[in-house]
Amino acid sequence: MTRSLTTRFASLMLLGLASPAAAAPIAHREVLPNGIVLLVAERPAVPIVAVRALVQAGAVHDPPDRAGLANLTGVLLTRGTTKRTGPELDSAIEFVGGSLEAGAGRDSIGASLRVLKPDLGLGLDLLSEVILSPTFPPDEVTRKIGEIQASIKRSEEDPGAVAARALARLVFPGHPYGLPVEGTRESVARLTRDDVVKFHRERFRPDATVVAVVGAVTVDEARREVLGRFGSWARPASPLPGVPTASAGREPREEVIPRDLTQATIMFGRQAIRQTDPDYFALVVASYVLGGGSASRLYTRVREEGGLAYSVYSYVSPSKYGSAFFVSAQTRIAEVPKVRTLLNAELARMTREPPSDAELSLAKAYLVGSFPLRLDTSAKVADFVSAIEELGLGLDYADRYKERVARVTAREVQRAAQRFFIPETFNRVVVGRTP
Amino acid sequence: MRRALVVFLVPLLLGAPPARAADTVVAETLDNGLRVILLEDHRSPIVSSQVWYRVGSRNERRGATGIAHFLEHMMFKGTPTHGRGQFARIVEQNGGQDNAFTSQDVTSYFVNIAADKLDLVIELEADRMHNLLLDPKEIESERQVVIEERRTRTEDDPGGFLGEEVASIAFKAHPYGSPIIGWQEDIARITPEEIRAFYRSYYVPNNAMVVAVGDFRAGEVLERIKRRFGGIPRGAAPPPVLTVEPPPNGERRVVVRKQAELPIVYLAYHVPNQRSNDAAPLEVLSTILSGGRASRLYRYLVYERRLALEAGGDYSYFSIDPNLFWFWATAMPGQTPETLEKELLAQVERLKTEPVTDEELRRAKNQIEAAFVFQEDSIHRRASLLARFEVIGGYAQKDQFLAKIRAVTAADLVRVAGSWFPEDKKNVGILLPKP
Repeated sequence: MTRSLTTRFASLMLLGLASPAAAAPIAHREVLPNGIVLLVAERPAVPIVAVRALVQAGAVHDPPDRAGLANLTGVLLTRGTTKRTGPELDSAIEFVGGSLEAGAGRDSIGASLRVLKPDLGLGLDLLSEVILSPTFPPDEVTRKIGEIQASIKRSEEDPGAVAARALARLVFPGHPYGLPVEGTRESVARLTRDDVVKFHRERFRPDATVVAVVGAVTVDEARREVLGRFGSWARPASPLPGVPTASAGREPREEVIPRDLTQATIMFGRQAIRQTDPDYFALVVASYVLGGGSASRLYTRVREEGGLAYSVYSYVSPSKYGSAFFVSAQTRIAEVPKVRTLLNAELARMTREPPSDAELSLAKAYLVGSFPLRLDTSAKVADFVSAIEELGLGLDYADRYKERVARVTAREVQRAAQRFFIPETFNRVVVGRTP
Repeated sequence: MRRALVVFLVPLLLGAPPARAADTVVAETLDNGLRVILLEDHRSPIVSSQVWYRVGSRNERRGATGIAHFLEHMMFKGTPTHGRGQFARIVEQNGGQDNAFTSQDVTSYFVNIAADKLDLVIELEADRMHNLLLDPKEIESERQVVIEERRTRTEDDPGGFLGEEVASIAFKAHPYGSPIIGWQEDIARITPEEIRAFYRSYYVPNNAMVVAVGDFRAGEVLERIKRRFGGIPRGAAPPPVLTVEPPPNGERRVVVRKQAELPIVYLAYHVPNQRSNDAAPLEVLSTILSGGRASRLYRYLVYERRLALEAGGDYSYFSIDPNLFWFWATAMPGQTPETLEKELLAQVERLKTEPVTDEELRRAKNQIEAAFVFQEDSIHRRASLLARFEVIGGYAQKDQFLAKIRAVTAADLVRVAGSWFPEDKKNVGILLPKP
């Protein structure tokens, strides 16, 4: 996989880059009586069904001294319910060749089910059990805490993970987005089963839940099957608790984290804007021109012409309560100063002059035109529609995105760069030895 | 996948789609030897276009390891008609996604794009099959990029580093012992002339196949392919790989110390490939050992004994020459590699004496069959599967694959474990974290 890092990254940033859909609505949407938002997309050709359930219970809801609580709760969902033990859940879904995975992100806890069509009933039984009646067995809690701590320890081997964690702390000081979803080894050590039980009791509620059903299924069938399992889940009287939006970061800082590696990982980052900001689409185009693909300025200057890096890119990372913009490269130790200079120079150049017509049209054509490729499987459609629902962007977001991206002008790209690309406004992290 | 370059094809191997009655593959070999395989899939207006060359690290000689992968990078560096970077630029400009990978056996280039752009892709692929520039200046610049890639994947990645060491001791003659990305010394040394000669030998129509799946009329596309590729002259038959790995005569072991957080243990045994009747049982065994959380290695080493953070087993069903069956585990903090090795070996020994349960066998078969169906959902995966089977002897073999899997018995598994996992011929790799 040679050129993978940049292009792969783009596909991971689905929401950031998401663009246009066909004229037909991307999914059917309805609100069930208890407040669950049900989304259904029929894809009858292949006899499989993908289901994505999202509950607004992500790491952003972790209590300040309990970083990692949402993550622990998420991974424990499949470790035992009132009807089945963890191993019984594993055996049940795997016996039919399906999968059921749960875990937390920054904004929500998600559970993903994938089954052959004839096994949809079983799959939804299991999915509803893990969401509605997990038991969090003490032994499983202890086991998962140990595994998460080991994973955090192991991730210290990964310079990209180390850099991203350090940078998040600098970009979102004082906000939960500044802390890792998985928590720290210290914060995870403090977590208890009681914390998990309480978090699940308080945060899991139907009016904070989205269920997307995509595949060989009709709307009527999906409604019936989901209502049959989630319909009696009662909505609490209390209002949904809010989350503070990230406040502006403080003065940018720089951190060097020494590691005995042959490469240094350089990451710049700062706060940016969400999809709801009118400048968002211009920022997405600007980021693509700067470091979005293999025609981008960073790829051309740093990789193609300079031979300085295998991996170099920029991207916008919007979440529900804040957003960030990142630039990253990995290079040999001796070239760290040169690569830093190039990253700064290309950021600054974006602020000084508008992109060329060719750059602008390429970025727009790619962002708009590649959209169908990003929704080419049922699982991808389920992830996409549930995410835009959770972010409150509306099911027409894909169409709006296409239209807005297509209208972005060179002047708007420059203005977005002037707002977000000024080199002095970035926090910087370098992981590795420095020359 | 932590052992990316050595075994990174493995996750794709779990299955291949069953031929559905409506699916008709159109296959033809052009006069110049180019193999063409087309499958219509009209669910979305997109197409996956792939060109596979039957050349990988397997075809390299000592002293020039990594040349196949180096050439893959150079395939994006232009022809007289389409200059450096133009291939990717044109694809992006048309809303497409492109990438490539090199494995031990093949080098594959793919573009996923709107169906009405297929002709453009065919033109570009035909151009770089025959007219690559291979400018020495570009080679020098790209050499540094490849070395950076090696740093990311191998030098600075403990799992990748250890995998390379184990493969290199497991093979004393066959080129499967060399890393796909090549030894650092070779990457630094390989000359433009060698790359040019390698290109001329292996990038000929009679050593390549074009596979496309998507929203097109196969008859029309076949004509276009004939028009674009038909004029490229047949080349001399590439030199066959004659090396047969001699049977191992004893245990081989490598212990490396590296900056890392957790110890890693690999076990590897020489096994036959799909030409053997033992291949289907080995494939089933691989799923029983590592297909999900109900699988043996996860259940015993990770879940019950809490010895490993992760553990698994991998078999290369599609390997052109006989390859390795891998077992691997990453230790939980406080666990020693000695314990892990002992427990992995105990699992191997158990396979030789105790038949797997009926539930384990049925679960594994169901998982393999379901994986076939899930892959049907993606045109990219459908095309890759056709190509993969074509590489090992014919795309139609995928229709027999499931029958072979279904016929596997518990007694077969005991037999193949006894035949192929000899205790005194194992290859062992241990990574010890350096403080």
